[in-house]
Amino acid sequence: MDLHYSAEDDAFRAQARGWLRDNIPRERRPAHGEAAAQFDRDWQRRLFEHGWAGLNWPAEYGGLGLSAIQQVIWYEECARAGAPHYINTTYVALMHAGPTIIACGTPAQKTFHLPRILAGESLWCQGFSEPNAGSDLASLKTAGVIDGDELVVNGSKTWTTDGQHADFQELLIRTEPGSARHKGLTWVICDMRAPGITVQPIRTMLGDAHVNTTFYDDVRIPLANVVGEPGGGWKTAMSTLAFERGTGFIGDQLALYERVNRAIALAGRTRLADGRLAIDDSDIAGRLALIKADTLAIKAMTFAQISEIRQGGNPGPKGSIMKLMVTSTAKALSHLVAEIVGWEFMEYNDDRNDHPLTYDYLWSWVYTIAGGTSEIQREIIADQLLQLPRSR
Amino acid sequence: MLLVPDASEQEIAATAAAFLAAEFPLARLHGARADHDRLGEFAALGWLGLSAPEANGGSGLGVIEEMLFFYELGRVAGPVGVLAQVLAIAAAGDERELCAALIAGETPVALVVQRSEEAGIRFVGAADRGYALEVTPAGATLFAVRGGDCTEVPCLDRSVRMHTGPASALEQRLHVAGDRLWYRAQVAVSAMLVGTAECAQDMTVAYAKVRETFGRPIGAYQAVRHPCADMAMRIEGARCQLYYAATALQEQQADARLHVDAARLLADRAAKANTDANIQLHGGIGVTEEFDAHLLLKRANLLWRLFGASQHRMRTLLGLDDAAEGLAHGEDA
Repeated sequence: MDLHYSAEDDAFRAQARGWLRDNIPRERRPAHGEAAAQFDRDWQRRLFEHGWAGLNWPAEYGGLGLSAIQQVIWYEECARAGAPHYINTTYVALMHAGPTIIACGTPAQKTFHLPRILAGESLWCQGFSEPNAGSDLASLKTAGVIDGDELVVNGSKTWTTDGQHADFQELLIRTEPGSARHKGLTWVICDMRAPGITVQPIRTMLGDAHVNTTFYDDVRIPLANVVGEPGGGWKTAMSTLAFERGTGFIGDQLALYERVNRAIALAGRTRLADGRLAIDDSDIAGRLALIKADTLAIKAMTFAQISEIRQGGNPGPKGSIMKLMVTSTAKALSHLVAEIVGWEFMEYNDDRNDHPLTYDYLWSWVYTIAGGTSEIQREIIADQLLQLPRSR
Repeated sequence: MLLVPDASEQEIAATAAAFLAAEFPLARLHGARADHDRLGEFAALGWLGLSAPEANGGSGLGVIEEMLFFYELGRVAGPVGVLAQVLAIAAAGDERELCAALIAGETPVALVVQRSEEAGIRFVGAADRGYALEVTPAGATLFAVRGGDCTEVPCLDRSVRMHTGPASALEQRLHVAGDRLWYRAQVAVSAMLVGTAECAQDMTVAYAKVRETFGRPIGAYQAVRHPCADMAMRIEGARCQLYYAATALQEQQADARLHVDAARLLADRAAKANTDANIQLHGGIGVTEEFDAHLLLKRANLLWRLFGASQHRMRTLLGLDDAAEGLAHGEDA
């Protein structure tokens, strides 16, 4: 084992650090709404124009084709520089839809969509979960019926993050009547401006409406928009979920490290009700130290994971351990910070920019639920890593 | 950058695992004084001198290989005397004769775990012959033991012997200043702790596959599956951090101390929580003397008390301790 970076990697780090120093936006990202989406498009456009778009995309599709280690370096430098967070309204396009089209799309789909995604011209949302198919995704019912060279779609999807800003949606529907579970599903590209689509915001306990329910009323989608095989949608969908649980959260994993250091600094200057500095409270200090150790471990797990990938291994269920560990550590951190900051925490006005610490606290439940709840991650670990008898 | 064992590191771990599985099955620990006087078996295969310089009769390997060996030793709740011996060899440094005697396993070493003029001393290991080693952040000291002055006391972990005595029972033989040995000891004991945690997990998972209640294996119930997944998560975090820490220490990285302290904290947590869950998930059989689960719990209690000082670790992790900045390059290496 060794911790050395190659000369090439060191040079890449210097280049990334220099560019970020000179190019990150001076203005704050607006908290929500169209202004936030426009901020994300502009930042993606800037990355694209300067040759930083599509870090993990192969070069033949306009990406940088960076090694996993250089992706880690990029995200470390972004966190260090305070660059706009990459999990924003461009995330689904760059980290889900793009890689899925690269893996399973037709030449026409690639030619049309990939350049637009890289340049920040089109935003995407995900259409997988339904009101009655969340953790149990395979029970989804939204149906598409073939009519000529089109699919006619009826049903509803939910937890459509940023659906109100999206140009396209990765939509998973049942196209074989009477099919069950993972069979008979199809993954299609849905134009969010097609007639028959209604996007209804869901207000969350965070005070925002970043998620939606999407209704489909005789929405007509060309068959040419099917990605992968008709009826083979589960396979197509898994190519993105496996990706998300593999390396899709590297940036988040590393950003946690900066967050815990900021919390330690906060504890070093914040006085508790009894006048002592928070860091001098042995309970707070002990919990902070353990959270710091966990964030270091998450960084080490990231390096171990990319080492395994480089040696030809598949992170597989280890990705679920990562998701469980990252989200539970982030939760512990934001809850401890809530105890440190006192009454200021209560002045929340639904604006994440004004009250980031309260927002992080409220977000912590979204984090342990979205993208597969902690309970589902434990099931995956029990099934696939520990090979325990099936519970269902 | 590589944070999984390479081919030669894997081979060392596999060789250790094969030897330990054959010679040190957990069942041995039900016998009285199970691991006493078994140092020679480790000496014969060269394990005691694993990381001692070749010029002193060792194999000249580094912190990483040492960590992998202690991980495997932890998985079988192996003799704690081996840990004391390896650290004493490192403390002996260039004292060739002493080094050779220690590598040969002829002179056993105990671990001093308490020492003050008023309260006296406590050590883990034999008292009748040989040495006792004390390792603190300030330095490591090897003492000759005047065994006649000491009293054997019971130990919750029946596989080890424990003695108390007056401070005068120890006579200083050599002292190495600095925290080099302290951090090596932390890596080694962390490795044993994570190995213990993994052994506990494997025991629970194996049982959950075969034990049936209400007509199903208990491993099919989420009340059992989810704690098992948490055991796996604790091991994965602690193990990866341990790999990182050992490699950082080997390479004398500037932040090596921070990483070792983090590894130790996570190793303590994994061993405590997993040996606890192992007993609980077994149900009634888990608290019986004839079953193995309590052996791991008792071993974890011994290990997490070794080279304690959680305040010191907490301060390093929170950046409150200037000593944490920069492992002095070649300070006393």
